Amino acid sequence: MNAVLGSYVNHDTFIHRMDPRNKFFCLIVLMVAVFISYPTFEMTFIVGGALATLIISLLLIAKVRILDVFKSLRVLWFFILLLMIINVFMPPVGAENIAFSMGKVNVYWEAIFQSLKIILRLVLMIMLTTLLTATTKPLDLTYALEWYMAPLKVIRFPVHEIAMTISIALRFIPTLLDETDRIMKAQSSRGVDFKHGKISSRLKAIVSLIIPLFISSFQRSEELADSMEARGYDPKAKRTRYRVLRFSFADLIGFILCGAVIAATIVISVYKWTYVTPHFVPWWILSLMLVFLYMLLTALITAVVRRHRK
Amino acid sequence: MPIRFNDVFYTYQANSPFKSEALKGVSLEIKDGSFTCVVGHTGSGKSTLVQQLNGLLIPTSGSVEVNGFTVQKRHKSLRNLHNLRKEVGIVFQFARYQLFEETIEEDVAFGPMNFGVKKEEALEIAHKCLKTVGIDESLFKRSPFEVSGGQRRRVAIAGILALEPKILVLDEPTAGLDPKGAREILKLFKELNEKGTTIILVTHDINIVYEFADDVVVMNEGKIELHCSPEQLFKEDVEKYSLETPLIQKAVNKCLEKGLKINPAKIRNVHDLAVEIARAKK
Repeated sequence: MNAVLGSYVNHDTFIHRMDPRNKFFCLIVLMVAVFISYPTFEMTFIVGGALATLIISLLLIAKVRILDVFKSLRVLWFFILLLMIINVFMPPVGAENIAFSMGKVNVYWEAIFQSLKIILRLVLMIMLTTLLTATTKPLDLTYALEWYMAPLKVIRFPVHEIAMTISIALRFIPTLLDETDRIMKAQSSRGVDFKHGKISSRLKAIVSLIIPLFISSFQRSEELADSMEARGYDPKAKRTRYRVLRFSFADLIGFILCGAVIAATIVISVYKWTYVTPHFVPWWILSLMLVFLYMLLTALITAVVRRHRK
Repeated sequence: MPIRFNDVFYTYQANSPFKSEALKGVSLEIKDGSFTCVVGHTGSGKSTLVQQLNGLLIPTSGSVEVNGFTVQKRHKSLRNLHNLRKEVGIVFQFARYQLFEETIEEDVAFGPMNFGVKKEEALEIAHKCLKTVGIDESLFKRSPFEVSGGQRRRVAIAGILALEPKILVLDEPTAGLDPKGAREILKLFKELNEKGTTIILVTHDINIVYEFADDVVVMNEGKIELHCSPEQLFKEDVEKYSLETPLIQKAVNKCLEKGLKINPAKIRNVHDLAVEIARAKK
């Protein structure tokens, strides 16, 4: 099994102990910091470097293996290469500093910087998501998601059902992988070659994998549904949690840290805004404000609902 | 040519935080034409051991020699795994999951066809094998998903028998079969063994070992604890290998305690026991 985007690894660190809801929020805030546009390329790389240092030290604190992060970057190589080529042949508007020429094509410094900037953002984004997924149990993530979606209950959106479905789906990913492995072994023993051969025989090979996989999944879901019903599961019922999520001291520190980072980056990007791109600032600030407002509102609604229930 | 394991180590998910050592230096020789049982706890490495036999798993270090093939990291034999898989047939514990064709006969014929047998011929082989595992002719055109779990297991076993392997590996073949069905299947394996097929049977059930095996491999925590004949194994106190005493042996011991003069060496199953008791009573 290859770990895509770093599956959960159990450690007891500061970051593992954080409330998943808060971690989710901090991730979004840091993502915003990564994706804000900064006035000049120099600024982008300086801030990018600072963010990279921060994120890498967080990864180290969380005992995530940096090598694994780069392994999951492998998938992006092709994308990065394509990006480079497109940027070189279609330089950004206003590019004037020629780095070197290849025949008739001029390669601009701006084009190179532009692609480097995008690569930096991608790498940071992947590091951040790895940080989240490697330190948070998938189930906790679903709880966090459910909590954020709680206000949608007002418009009769089936929040609990969706969270339940997601958590069941997450729960069964490893099971399905095991099953796939098992079926592939059984079929290989019958002479199926999944790696070589003509297209027609490979199609047959895939059919011999997919059908048993489907059959056992259907069987499994039926059994699961039956056993849930047998234990009296009712999606409408009021329920308590085995693990109660709590906002702890670790969360406060994380929250303040992310707040400081986002504040610093906003200040940097607002600085000089008049003579770079005059229209971008209000949009980012607005969306940020909205996110904060939404957080507050959710917390408020949850608090009110809880009081009401008592 | 015997099967030979040379100091085989196997680690699942090596180089990851989830790594687990399943085999820790296994050296073993399995004689041609023998009926070898592999016993041990869950997680003792039995299944991992047998999956090395047709290259489904490649040893992390060490090598496995099977009929002139060498299963070893970066060995040129690995390019020829297809041929190795014709020689070694493995029936898995959850064999019923390997069925996918529209009819039972086509499913059994699928294996031989992968090894280049023509369809008509493959169907003929399929019919023969289905009959040997005790599937009625009326079921041949039915879907494998319509029949019962036990029958599905038989179809899956037929699917491997159809490859006519020289070495047949069975991982818990009787799980989920009723006692009568289980005995029939085991007798079938014994017959195949008498015709020259090497049988390697992974099991929890010590009674099967007592009755059928010529050779026993006891595994514990990825290592071979004991490799001997069943007579030798059952002479000792098997419970020290955390195995149970076979029911027949318990009965024999009780009879001896009560003073019946029976000959334990002659007794492999219930029938033998009955004959011996009758003889002793005379």
